[in-house]
Amino acid sequence: MIGPTPAQIAEELRHFQARLTEGARTLRGLGPIETGVLPRDPVHQEDKLILYRYQPRVAEPHPVPLLIVYALVNRPYMMDLQEDRSLIRGLLDAGLDIYLIDWGYPDAGDRHLSLADYILRYIGHCVDHLRERHQRDSINLAGVCQGGALSLCFTALHPGKIRNLVTMVTPVDFHTPDNVLTHLIRYVDVDLLVDTLGNLPGQLLNFTFLSLSPFRLAGQKYVDLVDILDDAQAVKNFLRMEKWIFDSPDQAGEAFRQFAKDFFQHNKLIKGEVVIGGQRVDLHDVTMPVLNVYASQDHLVPPAASRALAGCCGSRDYSELSFEGGHIGIYVSGRAQRKIPPAIAAWLLAR
Amino acid sequence: MAERTDLPDPSGFDIELLLKQARTYLAFGQQIQPLSERFHETLGQGGDWGEALRQHFEQLKTALTRAVDDPNGHPDLARLWTVTLDTAASLGVSAAIAPPVGANAGAWRVYQQLQSQYLDGLRQTARDALDLMEQRLNERATAGATVESLRELYDLWVECNEETYGRMLRSLDYAMLNGRLLNALVSCHVRGDVPT
Repeated sequence: MIGPTPAQIAEELRHFQARLTEGARTLRGLGPIETGVLPRDPVHQEDKLILYRYQPRVAEPHPVPLLIVYALVNRPYMMDLQEDRSLIRGLLDAGLDIYLIDWGYPDAGDRHLSLADYILRYIGHCVDHLRERHQRDSINLAGVCQGGALSLCFTALHPGKIRNLVTMVTPVDFHTPDNVLTHLIRYVDVDLLVDTLGNLPGQLLNFTFLSLSPFRLAGQKYVDLVDILDDAQAVKNFLRMEKWIFDSPDQAGEAFRQFAKDFFQHNKLIKGEVVIGGQRVDLHDVTMPVLNVYASQDHLVPPAASRALAGCCGSRDYSELSFEGGHIGIYVSGRAQRKIPPAIAAWLLAR
Repeated sequence: MAERTDLPDPSGFDIELLLKQARTYLAFGQQIQPLSERFHETLGQGGDWGEALRQHFEQLKTALTRAVDDPNGHPDLARLWTVTLDTAASLGVSAAIAPPVGANAGAWRVYQQLQSQYLDGLRQTARDALDLMEQRLNERATAGATVESLRELYDLWVECNEETYGRMLRSLDYAMLNGRLLNALVSCHVRGDVPT
């Protein structure tokens, strides 16, 4: 049954328009949108990469530092979006010493950067920097999404340098039936794309992600925004997410070429056929303790794509942590703040 | 050490996204008003509201086809089905990899042919979504459930579009078309001619 009469619909539309008009005032008065709230200090720099150390929140942080490797796609401040949505804050509160790699924004001069540059040189140098700084043979490593795949590669090639590995929403098997990103890239001529464009435009990646669910992510979301336009704080929260969503760095051409072809199209990571800097990546060489965190409703990295790690890594101390939520909710939802950092910290501190 | 963004920073919020979707919502409301009118009239006269619903959705589908052929003649309806294309435009995809003026004419022709197939696919999912919405409204009525507001109808329309669009997106045909479309667009560029 259709309940509302034409008059009621007209009234609903009038009310919507009025809220929109009033909301424009809220938007105008918001001021700058800030993200990345916790104090941090740069401790190492190489090309556009900056390695940050977050200021500890306990008197004596855990002696083994945790290095977070974020994806090359989007920006890492998702891990520290705002005061009450910060996984990093939760990890610091639990007593960990947190470092994070900010990859920066690749430009035309970076088009020849390869995965070997990112994994062996950039991650490798950060790991070595922290080993030296903390006088440790090995450190803890946490890879997020694509950063998890990069971390797995590094760890497999240098297992002695990593004490414990945490992977978060990390794809390992790229050919699970529900992997829609693989589905969309399957027939793309990646060589043509990279040879022609050089770097992959971040806007193209944005469009790809949003086009997975365009009516919700690019339509309904903004209609729903009108409902909260009178609440400046809620609008600011919304805009922080918007800023992150549209803040998409271009992807260095050569690194994108190998990742798209070897990982997405040919699923070489799980087959043990990825070659980085002339060295074959065998996940059986990942022998240290592994905590694999995945989101049960992840539409970008399906749980099965992450959980495949169980069957191919060499660790005898492999654990999984399932979070009931999506690919983004695992960083920013209230439940994630309560569940994820304490669980990761407890797992690390026990090892 | 907070990172700051002032509107309208490209990495910040583009208010045009909000306005565009608000216009879409208003257009949706205008399309639904006659349905509501006919529904309540039919109900008042003890008529067959199911038939009224069917006729209204048939008219919507016909109008949709016309809107596609002549978007300027039916801007409100056109806005409803072109939401995906609007999204692409809003995100600046065309700006990101649009071919330069004087692009390879043959490649451009191939791209346009493929884009036409892509639009046909979108048009079909929009029609399918209307079929699905009609079906869902019938199911609700049979179950004695009432749609209480325009927003609820809009949410149902979104849900139906997501479902039919998602079916298309996950098909093998779409994967192939998506690949060919992007390959064709890129082929319009000269190698090394990096778009700005």
